[in-house]
Amino acid sequence: MIELENVSKAYDGQEALSNISLRVERGEMAFITGPSGAGKSTLFKLLYLAEKPDNGTITIAGHNAARLNSTSIPLLRRNIGVVFQDFKLLNNKTVYDNIALTLRIRGYVEKDVKERVHSVLKMVSLRHKADNYPLTLSGGEQQRVTIARSIIGEPTVMLADEPTGNLDEENEKEIMKIFKQINTKGTTVLIATHNRALFENTARRVFFLDGGKLKGEEQ
Amino acid sequence: MFSLRLALKSIFNEKWMSLLSMFSIGVMLFILIAVAIVVYNVEKLTARLPERLTVMAILKEGATAEEVKAAQAAIKAEPAVKSVTFVSKEKALEELKKSFKKDDFILKGFGENPLFDSFDVKIKSEGADGVRQLIQRIKSIRAVDDVEYGESLMDSLYALKSGLRALGISIGIVFLCSVTFICYATVKILFYRHREEIEVYKLLGATRWFVRAPFFLEGTIIGILGGVVGSGILMAFYQYFLRRLIADMPMFAFMSIPVQFLYMLPVCGMLLGLGGSVLALGRLKY
Repeated sequence: MIELENVSKAYDGQEALSNISLRVERGEMAFITGPSGAGKSTLFKLLYLAEKPDNGTITIAGHNAARLNSTSIPLLRRNIGVVFQDFKLLNNKTVYDNIALTLRIRGYVEKDVKERVHSVLKMVSLRHKADNYPLTLSGGEQQRVTIARSIIGEPTVMLADEPTGNLDEENEKEIMKIFKQINTKGTTVLIATHNRALFENTARRVFFLDGGKLKGEEQ
Repeated sequence: MFSLRLALKSIFNEKWMSLLSMFSIGVMLFILIAVAIVVYNVEKLTARLPERLTVMAILKEGATAEEVKAAQAAIKAEPAVKSVTFVSKEKALEELKKSFKKDDFILKGFGENPLFDSFDVKIKSEGADGVRQLIQRIKSIRAVDDVEYGESLMDSLYALKSGLRALGISIGIVFLCSVTFICYATVKILFYRHREEIEVYKLLGATRWFVRAPFFLEGTIIGILGGVVGSGILMAFYQYFLRRLIADMPMFAFMSIPVQFLYMLPVCGMLLGLGGSVLALGRLKY
């Protein structure tokens, strides 16, 4: 479950988010949309605890973000899978190692790491690219590696920031199929996008953000 | 295990910087240990110096047999005295003649024996002050006229010893700080080079310890390897310099290198490497 209550955030006096309140239920898949600069990425940064809100409270994966101390933040992040707009893949590591990193950080033994990485690679149809380096992959493939890395730890909440940006229609469909699959397994999924095609003709909730303010919500 | 793999990979990837750090640490530790060896050998040499000193207690002319006997007993009763041997002036002349060999004609100029009865006193290991006090006590014995011993040699050796000790400690502190600084700078550079990677680790839920561990290990490994380089230089120094020096100039035969020094260098490098890493990462916010 994700819940924001009267959340505000400003940078150098410039308000990026203003009094945002929204709630995404456990196991739900929802979208946040709005033009560039609407505050989608800022909202995500608050959700994965890269930044702290100036006002308001954020509850994510059952924890009040404001009450977490610095030693608890890494443990909460393990419950949140994030798909970054710029992928944030380590270019000096292979696809396998990029995905395995999530499990190694949690102290998994190599045997389990191997098993789970191969299973996730199969899910995102990249088993044959396990030994490749990110820069040798297409944009769609890199995005799928990022998704694989975020889901391998079986998070309860998944955040995806512009997951289909710069991807062609076929890759877009492929990526959305993976998110639906993850959501079916019970993971709460929140996707930030300015691509209306992703949520049009779906029964999902959509939050509209503009100029740092929540303009509305529709299903 | 993963942290160790990351540390080794990072050292390998940044091999030139790592090698430079290791060799700098190795050379510094070698210089440090070379100073320690000099101090150690001077300590060793001076520790047994009193044993090698010949203390001659010259007896007053006309001292009675009882007085001589009492003086011998009094000297022997000193805890620092190993042995006391009476040397008559006739025996002393004989010894002198022997030492002059063919040049004993020099002594023929003397009408009578110019020497005195004396005691040859051998003493146990004592510090310079202990020896001086002992000499004073011997001098105060009634039958004893004067005491002769290698005072100036002993004083200069003891002065050299304390000077070297102070120099050794100063050089030691400077070099220990330098080695720590090299490890500190190396780890800090490596940390900044991996900043983007660390950012990703954090976002994936890595704890502070997980992020820091590879850098602690890197500093420690570089320190150990630097110590091994230092031990290598020390062995080469012994094999190609000291051994030849001793063979050619036997006066340096007292010099030795304790084998523990070879193990000490990597241990010292390890501790300094770890210390440098802790300092480097201690105040970084991430």
